[in-house]
Amino acid sequence: MHAVAVFVLLGAGMYAVCVLDHLVGNRVAGQSVRVCAAFAQPWQSAALELRTQRVTTERPDSALWALAPALLGAAAATAVATVPLGALGSGAAERWDVNAGIVLFGAAMALVMVAVYLNGWAANSAFSLIGAYRFVAQALSYEMPLALVLIAAALPAESLSVGAIVQSQASVWNIVRQPLGLPIYLIAGLGLAFWGPLATPDAQDLAGGTEVELSGPALLLWRAARAGVLVAVAAMGAAAFLGGPLGPWQLGLVWMAAKTLLLVLIMLWLGHRLARVRLEWFVRVAWTVLIPLALVDVFASGALVLWSR
Amino acid sequence: MIGALARLASGGPARVFPLVGAHPPGRVELLRLGNEVTEDVTLVDSPRAATVLLVAGHIPASLQEPARRVHDQLPHPRSTVWWVGASGSESGRESARTPFGAGTDTFPLVLVESGTQADELDALRTLGRTLRKMVQDLVSGVRPSEPDLLPDVDPTPWRGVGPYGQGGAGMTGGVPYGRPMTERAADRDGLELDQLPLRVGPYFPPFPAGLVLDLKLQGDLVQESQLGAAPHTPPARIFATALAEPVPIATLELARARSHLAWLAHALHVHGLAALGRRALQLSSRLGGVSSDARFLPAILASAQGEILTLQRAIECSGLFWWSTRGVGVLTESGLRAHPDALDAGGTHALGLGPVARAAGLRDDCRVDEPAYRALGFEPVVQAAGARSQVGDASARWRQRISEVYQSLDLAARAGDAHAWGNGIVEGVRGTMTAGADPQAALFALIPDAITGRAWEDAVTTVVSLDLGVGGAVQDVHPWAAREQLRARTRRDAAAGDHEMSGMSGMAGM
Repeated sequence: MHAVAVFVLLGAGMYAVCVLDHLVGNRVAGQSVRVCAAFAQPWQSAALELRTQRVTTERPDSALWALAPALLGAAAATAVATVPLGALGSGAAERWDVNAGIVLFGAAMALVMVAVYLNGWAANSAFSLIGAYRFVAQALSYEMPLALVLIAAALPAESLSVGAIVQSQASVWNIVRQPLGLPIYLIAGLGLAFWGPLATPDAQDLAGGTEVELSGPALLLWRAARAGVLVAVAAMGAAAFLGGPLGPWQLGLVWMAAKTLLLVLIMLWLGHRLARVRLEWFVRVAWTVLIPLALVDVFASGALVLWSR
Repeated sequence: MIGALARLASGGPARVFPLVGAHPPGRVELLRLGNEVTEDVTLVDSPRAATVLLVAGHIPASLQEPARRVHDQLPHPRSTVWWVGASGSESGRESARTPFGAGTDTFPLVLVESGTQADELDALRTLGRTLRKMVQDLVSGVRPSEPDLLPDVDPTPWRGVGPYGQGGAGMTGGVPYGRPMTERAADRDGLELDQLPLRVGPYFPPFPAGLVLDLKLQGDLVQESQLGAAPHTPPARIFATALAEPVPIATLELARARSHLAWLAHALHVHGLAALGRRALQLSSRLGGVSSDARFLPAILASAQGEILTLQRAIECSGLFWWSTRGVGVLTESGLRAHPDALDAGGTHALGLGPVARAAGLRDDCRVDEPAYRALGFEPVVQAAGARSQVGDASARWRQRISEVYQSLDLAARAGDAHAWGNGIVEGVRGTMTAGADPQAALFALIPDAITGRAWEDAVTTVVSLDLGVGGAVQDVHPWAAREQLRARTRRDAAAGDHEMSGMSGMAGM
């Protein structure tokens, strides 16, 4: 039951990412926003990909190449599964809650690096391989701040369960008591989903990087899984910083979906408004600015917990 | 089920990989504007993601083999559309039945010819419709997918003992079975690391068509670079005309502004700002439509300047000058002067490298010697080092071109029907052009020094910032000529009104 809910919501989230990305892109371009086309286009593109041949390269590592999108999708699904989807207190949410959800989320998201590297490496193609190298350098830089701000979010709950983290925000959301948390989390999240300014592994300067050799169903799966990672990042952000399903009128799932979509929208908008970073610059900033700020976030949050006892 | 899938698939945007040949009949990149201008068409960055290969213009013989290779990289179902200028415009070429060279006319080709439309977008609308129709026919099975043009075999047979061809005979010379073995060389930290030989081009999307670089990479670091072949992008026709005869300044400066905007659109796309790039492209194409509204030219140009200001703010907010281009690809004054290919005309415009030299702080512009420009009070825009910016880097070149768009629109609005040039020298989009020298060649020669030792991302940023050409050249617009025509037509109409009867009787007499 929970698995079905996770897959339905992940699928809906991927669709929402495609629709919103189209709308936000047209808005930023100053072109008219055609809502009908935005809703139809993901289905049309998917149908076209399904009818397109999957090409292989000379001597690819076929098994790993096929595994990469599945691994990315599975990582996204696992990450979404750690997030409480419905209203807490209904019983079901507690039963589904993993008691170390934050750790499981981190473990699933660490696999994103493996999936992207495999996808780039297995194609046996130069640009694809350079994209894979890039992502490893990037991943080492965003993972630390990501983990630190999530630890800070767990401190007030004194638990690693995402359900408990949500409950701990009943009086005040984490975005208020940890103002540094969400911005750092969203930057790291863009890196994790290799989106917008941090879309370095599949950048235009590599003609598509890790996805340069993908075609047909393989390309469809890869892009869908990547959208899934963005949804997972937004869902965890909504739970850890915006109170997840908490809100008036006991509309748990609705609040959760609305907050997730809001974060998705913010990340898509940033994706269209921010230029892709130089990797060297990002690595330097991540280690000299983001990680220290994330540490400040952890210490301040810990001090706040002790002080409020 | 399959039918429903096909119907659904045929409704979406056509995914097109463009191959720009020599003398394309129009600007392929305008297809990015999508449904507002043409049919729904998406230009993709990899042939693997495309359904249709769009060949714009004629592929030079030396590039036909790579073009065939790109063709075969498209997944099935696939098709080619060949977009050429009006027949007869390029003599002797119409006889060719395929863009890919002899022996490749094994499938029926769809040819789109465009004449000399007044509006460049008219041609694109026809093209967009054809591209959409092609995808619909392909997915519904009406049109068969195109077969390969090259045999689908390994470049050299794998005959080795091990699974990767290793072992056995044939390993001599470091080229087992035609595949170069990894060589090792010292990297910038002195470590002995593997080198990856890589040929980039001639159809690498961020670079202009025809540009080939032979590189040796370590990781993503360019250790060695050699020029393979120069790009084949022609400048706008008006600049070539200006070498031989005086041309209206308004026309010339509009062409410059639109060329810079077309570059801006491409460069924004390469830096991951495709949506802002579409905005620049819209502006570039809208400025091409001014000929019909000549009376309102100053007002139109003022409003365009306003839009460019908005776009410039968006670019500044995007962090592009901060984390993508700052300090990348620095070409200093002394470095440019030391270059053997720099045009040495003496005097104040010694280099003739246009925006690239001016971005390095040089007052390098032969418009200062042109009396008609002096009469307009022309003074070249030159980048100066600031607290947060340096001269000569990629970011300075971006700023330089954006400032020049303003300046060109301002000159075009004030120039009236003043004419200039015609004495064998002209300040083109990329620098000083003379009958014998094109700045493009000198800029091309700057590449190896500028990218060696840099990360690949910086190498691409540098090459893009040099502006070696983007797709097709902008079409000439003649706003003041159009105004003259309009006046003449009004006079003619008035005269015709006065003498309507006599005119008709005159015609009846013929």
